[in-house]
Amino acid sequence: MIDLMQAFTDLVYCLGQALALLLIAPLITGIVKKCKAAFQNRVGSSIFQEYYDIYKWWRKPVILSPYTGIIFKVAPCIYFITTLVAAAMLPNMFAKQIGFGDVFVFVYIMAIGRFFMAVSSMDAATAFGGMGGSREVYIAAFVEPVIMLSILSNVIHTGSTNLSGMTLRPDEVNLTVAGVLTCIAFFLVLLAENSRIPVDNPDTHLELTMIHECMTLEYSGRLLALIHWASQLKLLMFIVLFSLLYFPLNIPLVLKVLIATVAVAVVETMNNKMRLFKVRIYLAAAGVMLLLAVVAQ
Amino acid sequence: MELFLYAACCYLVGVSTFFFPRIYQVEAHYLSNTAALIGSALVTIATGGYYAGSLATDSLKWGTYSLAIDGWSSFFLLLTGIASMITSLYALGYGRSYEGNRLRNLGSNWNLFIVSMVFVLLAGDGFSFLLFWEIMAVASFMLVNHEAYIRTTWNAAYQYLVMTSLGTTFLMIAFLIVGAYSDSYSFVDMAHNSLTPQMAQWVFVTAFLGFALKAGLVPLHIWLPQAHPAAPSHVSALMSGVMLKIALYGFGRFMFSFIPTWSYWWAAVVMLAGAFSAFLGVLYAQMESDIKRVLAYSSVENMGVIFAAFGCGMLLKVTAGGHWYLIAMAAALLHAFNHSIMKVLMFMSAGSIMHGTGSKNLELFGGLARRMPVTAVCTFIGSLALAAIPLTCGFNGEWLALQGFITLARSSSAHDIRLLTAIAMILLGFTGALALGCFVRYFGIAFLGRERSEIAAHAHESDKFMLSAMSISSVLVMAAGIYPMPLMDLVAQAIGANTRMFTANQAMWWGTSAYSPILLLVVLAIVGGVVYLFASTAKYEVKEVTWNCGTDPTARQQYSAIGFSKPVRRAFDYILQPVRQRSYIRKDHAYFGRQLEYKLELPDMISRKLYQPVQKYFVVSSAFLRRLQQGSVRLYVGYVMAAMTVVLIWGAVIK
Repeated sequence: MIDLMQAFTDLVYCLGQALALLLIAPLITGIVKKCKAAFQNRVGSSIFQEYYDIYKWWRKPVILSPYTGIIFKVAPCIYFITTLVAAAMLPNMFAKQIGFGDVFVFVYIMAIGRFFMAVSSMDAATAFGGMGGSREVYIAAFVEPVIMLSILSNVIHTGSTNLSGMTLRPDEVNLTVAGVLTCIAFFLVLLAENSRIPVDNPDTHLELTMIHECMTLEYSGRLLALIHWASQLKLLMFIVLFSLLYFPLNIPLVLKVLIATVAVAVVETMNNKMRLFKVRIYLAAAGVMLLLAVVAQ
Repeated sequence: MELFLYAACCYLVGVSTFFFPRIYQVEAHYLSNTAALIGSALVTIATGGYYAGSLATDSLKWGTYSLAIDGWSSFFLLLTGIASMITSLYALGYGRSYEGNRLRNLGSNWNLFIVSMVFVLLAGDGFSFLLFWEIMAVASFMLVNHEAYIRTTWNAAYQYLVMTSLGTTFLMIAFLIVGAYSDSYSFVDMAHNSLTPQMAQWVFVTAFLGFALKAGLVPLHIWLPQAHPAAPSHVSALMSGVMLKIALYGFGRFMFSFIPTWSYWWAAVVMLAGAFSAFLGVLYAQMESDIKRVLAYSSVENMGVIFAAFGCGMLLKVTAGGHWYLIAMAAALLHAFNHSIMKVLMFMSAGSIMHGTGSKNLELFGGLARRMPVTAVCTFIGSLALAAIPLTCGFNGEWLALQGFITLARSSSAHDIRLLTAIAMILLGFTGALALGCFVRYFGIAFLGRERSEIAAHAHESDKFMLSAMSISSVLVMAAGIYPMPLMDLVAQAIGANTRMFTANQAMWWGTSAYSPILLLVVLAIVGGVVYLFASTAKYEVKEVTWNCGTDPTARQQYSAIGFSKPVRRAFDYILQPVRQRSYIRKDHAYFGRQLEYKLELPDMISRKLYQPVQKYFVVSSAFLRRLQQGSVRLYVGYVMAAMTVVLIWGAVIK
């Protein structure tokens, strides 16, 4: 009985953590946008703009094409739910971790969202949808092995596949060759997985450049708000994961998150989006770094 | 043990329906499939009885021939029983489409196929094993060749026959070597053999080649994507779901009992062969437009994952020792069971699509979810499982396999182990993501969007037998995914591990890592309920035709199946080497009024680079040998005399 009580408390804490991250997530995206604007000598919109956007979309009608079925309506919700549940799994933030899974479960829970979004892209019977889905699974095919290697590299260092066991100790300065290489490589994966420049451009709706935005082109109203919010949460989650698992310096978590956020903005300002078929080379670079890190430990 | 013999009687009744008069072919069909259903139910019950009983090795003997059941074979018997029960139920409906088309052959061969698989698993000595193994091969050959009037089917069937005979040759050598070193062919005596390490190596090589060929590992897989699409759907379901697993059974039998001291390089070979098969299999699966070939290549992939996990276990035992290797063996077995039920489901739903539309070309489908809702739901569940999505059974085996690889990486700090693990994990990472893409494409193109052709627009749902068989296996796929604990116990028993080794507190457990599907389901349900309450779109929905830049959208504007896999095809074109061709059908003017035709061929790389040169060499050398065969009797008498002279001289010299 006590065990059950304990599990329940853990659950409440974890879901509370997920909720907190969900509320912060648009702010992080806002900060990235503001930084980019500053680097480009623009004033830019307010850092709270993303909240206004979500609020706006929330009240707008949802336009459904007559060809769509239940998948089209369900997919954004599943994407949102699975991202939220994945956020609840992040370790050592506010709460103890609930024991429904380790890092592989974390990775594959996000695959649920990806599966549903990619499938739903074909539901509205447009050319753009299929294009987005096709490119999404192409990028994913190259991201996944690199993620596996980054997990392997971390596990060799920490000795656990449990997310709370994988975090670096608070006072740990892991400036070994392997540590630094893994850190850089995971940052590259972070950009690719969250559809940022140089892999994808989150701001354009030009059919030749877009990947993630292409999949969501047919969505409107609440469903679009859910997708955007989940994407923002996913970015924050990856930044937090990066800070907890791979950032090799001994500084407070909030500072790590802010540094990573600004780093995303810097990379986005200094680079162009690369050609779609160069993405594999970009990710192969990350993979080679990780392979070195795995062998070097 | 007696129950298995009753089951065999049921199957033999099914086989005998071949002798029904032609006017009673429908009755023969129902009788044979019901017999198969009852027989398979008996096999399942008998295996259950074995588990409920003392778990002692049970056997029957007739002279040197014997039947036996033990922990390792009982797991596969259970798998066979369940899968053939479901597919026989399906066959009751699906077989009707072969009315007037040798329906009685289909029914009797079907029974022969199942009974041979059951008895391969029950065989207690080398001779009966090989005997039933060959009956299995011949029965499945006849089933693949059912529509022999189609040229491609005929080719596929004969290619399968040649390949499987080759495999049996290797197996015979393996059995003969082990038999020679133990003076008996009974499995019990063969386990106490006196093989030297040198000869054990040869046993490994021949056994691995023989079983890998049946399991469809690259580069011995080429028969598989030909034979599976050619066979009727319920046959491909059973071939893919069960027959490939029997190869794993045989391989495990050799590895665990006959040559239990493994070398490092055996383990590395098995693991890498598995990982490469997984990668290449799924790569080709994503390229195919024939729904059954997609599934066939996906079987190559999954058998690859199973053998990679098995090899990882072997490597763990060689390098780390102790009981660590059991985790990877458990992964291989669990995935074998799970793949069996999900592939049975997917082949049955592919059969349902073919039944409803009359085609198996993905490019012609679209919007089938509106006309075949039950098939759509079942295919969706199967797609999720094959994409290894959590909460379906496909993920559990994958999770255990990944734990096995992590354990291997941590077991030693030697660079070669690290590198091997890293390569295997890279390949499995590719496999996981490409499988996801493959089944997004499979489901999305076939069931969503708009109809790409007339046949999709007039598709119809299948009958009750087929739908109930598909629903049952969908439920099984989900149940095995959400509550894998009983299955894990069976797996642990099969490999001789402690039943509590992989499970604790209703979760899968290894070291400090846990995966609890039930808890995950609960959390997803809670969060999902809250999101549903807040984000319900009911009051906000507006129906409007898809915006298409001001023009009317047409079905042809959707991405095609070939188009969907284009980025991946291009990224891997150094492996796939697609042959593209663009030609003009009409070209009135250089810039407009042109009509183009694109052709894309994706011949299997292994078949083109490895088999075709060998085949060419055989054709050339047999043309040379033909000169010896002049057809004249005097010449042959001359050959006989020449041979005798040589033998006589040789005999004299040796003496």
